[in-house]
Amino acid sequence: MFQRADFPFLGFGVGLRRPHYAHILKRHPEIDWFEIISENFMVAGGRPLEVLDAVRAQYPVVMHGVSMSIGSTDALDLAYLRGLRALSRRTTPAWISDHLCWSGASGHRLHDLLPLPHNEETVRHVAARIRRAQEILERHILIENVSSYLTFRASTMTEWEFVRAVAEEADCGILLDINNIFVNAFNHRFSAEEYIDAIPSERVVQFHLAGHSDHGDYLLDTHDHPIRDGVWALYAHAVRRFDAVSTLIEWDDNIPAFAVLAAAARRARRIHDSFQEQPTNIHAASA
Amino acid sequence: MPLQLKNTQALLYRLVTASGGVAEGLERERGLPRGGLGAVIGGDSRITAAARLSIYANMYFFRLLEVLKDDFSAVAAAVGAADFHNLVTGYLTKYPPTEASVFWAGRYLADYLRTGPIRHKVPYLADLAALERAIIEVFCARDTAVLDARAMRATVPERWPSVRMRGIAALQVIETQWRVALALRTFSAGRKFKAPARGSSTILIWRRDAKVFFREIDAFEARAIAKLRRGAGFGAICASFVGKSAARDPVAAINAMLARWLRDGIVADARFARAGAKLDARERRGIARS
Repeated sequence: MFQRADFPFLGFGVGLRRPHYAHILKRHPEIDWFEIISENFMVAGGRPLEVLDAVRAQYPVVMHGVSMSIGSTDALDLAYLRGLRALSRRTTPAWISDHLCWSGASGHRLHDLLPLPHNEETVRHVAARIRRAQEILERHILIENVSSYLTFRASTMTEWEFVRAVAEEADCGILLDINNIFVNAFNHRFSAEEYIDAIPSERVVQFHLAGHSDHGDYLLDTHDHPIRDGVWALYAHAVRRFDAVSTLIEWDDNIPAFAVLAAAARRARRIHDSFQEQPTNIHAASA
Repeated sequence: MPLQLKNTQALLYRLVTASGGVAEGLERERGLPRGGLGAVIGGDSRITAAARLSIYANMYFFRLLEVLKDDFSAVAAAVGAADFHNLVTGYLTKYPPTEASVFWAGRYLADYLRTGPIRHKVPYLADLAALERAIIEVFCARDTAVLDARAMRATVPERWPSVRMRGIAALQVIETQWRVALALRTFSAGRKFKAPARGSSTILIWRRDAKVFFREIDAFEARAIAKLRRGAGFGAICASFVGKSAARDPVAAINAMLARWLRDGIVADARFARAGAKLDARERRGIARS
């Protein structure tokens, strides 16, 4: 059974990205932990695994995937899951996460994170696949809420009801992406705070913070900008609600110097610490 | 399996990957429900259902375009941005990704270029893509312990002919009809891409110390490398040099080749070291008996 206490509080980390490899290996910068994109290291050998071994010797590491396609109606990709398990045995991450989405159909891959209809049928379908993935991976995983630009007529529940229902039926953890909630709240006109307040605190293990692009009619989750003020404000709301949750800064395009990401991680820590004087014990509150 | 979800995902996949965009995909789509796309996806006054799906279509294409541009930077430079865009559009239509990792997205690009329409305009492009792809694959190939000169010296030279040798896993050989190795080397050094000359070549690509190297090899070394990759005996590998007219002294040529291979780090350690150890043990037993 999923137990929140099984997942350590790692502090404030950043995504491990190629432009920073040399800096990290040479300077050993002060940062609490790193998140890797699992697929970047699911290779037979060479430089990526050398770097990973060196980083994990110095820092806690978690594995974050983009290709589990847990919401797809294609058969689960067992070869992929076994590869993920092999990487996890080598890496011994604090946890493994992927997205609550589908990313392929009819045997093909979109290499993107597409949303699912929010209804009972999808909950049952996805939860069963998460349970199977957890069996193969021999551990509970975290699922992340995705950014989206469309909604389905077939949806019968809100996104936050859907996230909660899937996590509870699959008995898995939640990686709550604060930027994705902010983006979706704008794109689909709902209250981001209401979303956060409805998520079961006892399942939230990690936060993501990232930047997005404003396209006027919609926000695009691009991970290529600094984190916007509105997202920081929403993060503060989440910190108040969820207490100590490991937080990660994501930046995937136009990647700046490591110091910029480290500064964002420090800002997240300051926000977190500012609420520690009057901590909200959300586990007790939601019981 | 939820049939409605399956049909929805299949429909969206077709529309997102339609080579002419979502609007064109909608025109030829036969699987739309009554009410069209709007019956599946919600739209509003700000942005229509088709426009919402187009966001995904753009992300699908441009993400893969960026991946392929990164993996095949010389190919992209050779044809220019517009032709590369069109080339990727055609490639993704014929070879849509099927693997979980984008690492595999460009696996068939050289095959596509060899038969695709651009081969008439830029005939060397398939060879260039094959070399760039081989570099990517070698970069992430399995690690292998490398035989060094000291380990080789541990085996008495008289035993070498019977010792089996094996190439490292991070080693590929490609045959080309154009001298793309020089063209890529020049481009990688930061100079403007210059079209290669026509001419058959065999290119060895390998990894050492996490860096990938490549060089043209002659027919004799190509034969020797082929045997090395099959795990042939050292004697058989040396026989590849029989008839090498350029070398006045075949033994010197073999020694030079071996020294180069050891320097390049393309010989795996395991078999040679193991064989050498066995021989040494037998020798030790012989010494003990005497």
